[in-house]
Amino acid sequence: MAARAIWKGSIELGKHQVAVKMYSAVEDRTIHFRMLHRKDDAPVEQHIVRKDTGKDVAKEDLRKAFALSKGTAVILEPADLEKLIPPQSRDIHLCRFVAPSVVGDQWYDRPYYLGPDGDDESYFALVHALERKKVIGIARWVMRKKQYVGALSELNGYLALATLRRAEQVLSFSGIEPAKTAKPHANELKLGEQLVSSIAADFDPQLWQNDYRQRLTKLIEAKARGEKPARHVPKKVKPQASLADSLRASIAAAKEKKVA
Amino acid sequence: MPKPKSRRAKQPRGAKPAVVPGGGPSVRSFWSGTITFGLVSIPVDLFSAVRPRQTAMKLVDKSGHALGRQYHCSKEGTKLDGDDLVRGYETDGKMVEITDDDFASVAPEMSSDIELRNFVPLEQIPSLYFQKPYFLAPAGKSAKAYHLLAATMESTGRVGIGSFVMRGHEYLVAIVSDNGVMRADTLRYADEVRTPESIGLPKRSKGAAKMADQFVKDIEALTRTELDISELQDNEAQALQELVKEKQKNKANVIEESGLEEADPESGDGAKIIDLMAVLRKSLSKGAVVTNARGGAPVDLAERRAQKKATSTRKAPKKKAARSPATKRARSG
Repeated sequence: MAARAIWKGSIELGKHQVAVKMYSAVEDRTIHFRMLHRKDDAPVEQHIVRKDTGKDVAKEDLRKAFALSKGTAVILEPADLEKLIPPQSRDIHLCRFVAPSVVGDQWYDRPYYLGPDGDDESYFALVHALERKKVIGIARWVMRKKQYVGALSELNGYLALATLRRAEQVLSFSGIEPAKTAKPHANELKLGEQLVSSIAADFDPQLWQNDYRQRLTKLIEAKARGEKPARHVPKKVKPQASLADSLRASIAAAKEKKVA
Repeated sequence: MPKPKSRRAKQPRGAKPAVVPGGGPSVRSFWSGTITFGLVSIPVDLFSAVRPRQTAMKLVDKSGHALGRQYHCSKEGTKLDGDDLVRGYETDGKMVEITDDDFASVAPEMSSDIELRNFVPLEQIPSLYFQKPYFLAPAGKSAKAYHLLAATMESTGRVGIGSFVMRGHEYLVAIVSDNGVMRADTLRYADEVRTPESIGLPKRSKGAAKMADQFVKDIEALTRTELDISELQDNEAQALQELVKEKQKNKANVIEESGLEEADPESGDGAKIIDLMAVLRKSLSKGAVVTNARGGAPVDLAERRAQKKATSTRKAPKKKAARSPATKRARSG
């Protein structure tokens, strides 16, 4: 089933504009539940109440407050919040291009695909240009009254735009040098590399399933049919040994597995 | 505030407090467990590697009173406590009640292992798989094995792939080493990731060749070797904070709060990260320098802690509270 575009924008590059439609690149598979009243299975309603009196507060009386320090906060009136809304725009502005490795995984937040919006020629021209240069673009845009920072890239022959976390959110480390006592020996490093290569593989996400979600889905289906669901029985085992011995034993085990 | 009884399984090995040198307050890691590959095991503590945005606001009424949530039965209109609540799932127009026992019966096994099943080249994992990063700190006497795995992954350019259970959920994870510090980056499952085909994007075409050449030139003109952090800043948070300070100066809408809703424990990441720096410094090396993405001055722990204290009441689950009751749904799975 084709997905629906969530937004339309325009990539600015040089003298050109590339009109694009934006699609979420993730499918929400989360199982969402409703909260019910245990007694009569009626859905619950949520009321916003004053903590001191327990009385309901009307929607038009709700405000947002920003805490300045412990015990002090400032209420933002609707007019204040209005002031914070960035000017509306369809432009996806490219700040710069960098090698993909410059942006670490920890920056990536939500991924989107971009599809052409009426002009396939310039869309695929941009795809090819990104493919040739092997770079990603750092982009800024305003979508639904919010500002975003993102990474524009070529992905599977199409354009992808992932939102990035903000600089203030991301932490990085430099200059980690292990203490002398914790420094692995050359022979241990060699064994480590052997072990890693003995279970080296290509990334194949299809090998992994969310078993919990599958069990939960089965349980819901069984209960809906009025059946008593089968119980899931967990298992458990665990070995322990010294580092070098463990490495050697692991390599041996991995080799055996490959032969068999 | 009434909450439904927790159906989540208890943490294996407990989320134990990490010891902070210098007599600082002890903090709790998100998860404690063991990385295993082959027969090697490395006990680790897990901490969030990203801080929340400084844009969170609390819900108050016009005069600044603290607000909370109260569930009511939609049929009887009566107030409900946590014990009165149960989760339901609507399927084929029928509401199926899912009890705590039901959830327990399908819960992932109580494992505290991240078992690395294979090592794959980092560049093979598309960026759209990455979900949330956590730092791993060696626990107990595992520093040597920790460094060994980190060094091995960096020299081979490979990252470990495995799965683990946290807070009753099963996560697919890539263990990556970044400058000697290991991270557990949770990954999306394959069925959560769309493809151009599943979205229904038009067939690939060659595009205008001349235009592609022009784009190549435009890209080259904008290509740099490094990021400019100012392009990645949170301008919204800054604008919000400036406005708030201005209002405070003008004494407009300033409230003295008391009993405002406690910060969501999930969003208390800041505190954990600050103390994590101390934890990592101690467990990895005395000479480790911790910086944020600005790449600026090393972080001053005492100062950060003071800041954290000052803002510890800032975060509130505004989105949840602001959502209308009709669309409010309990999430899980």
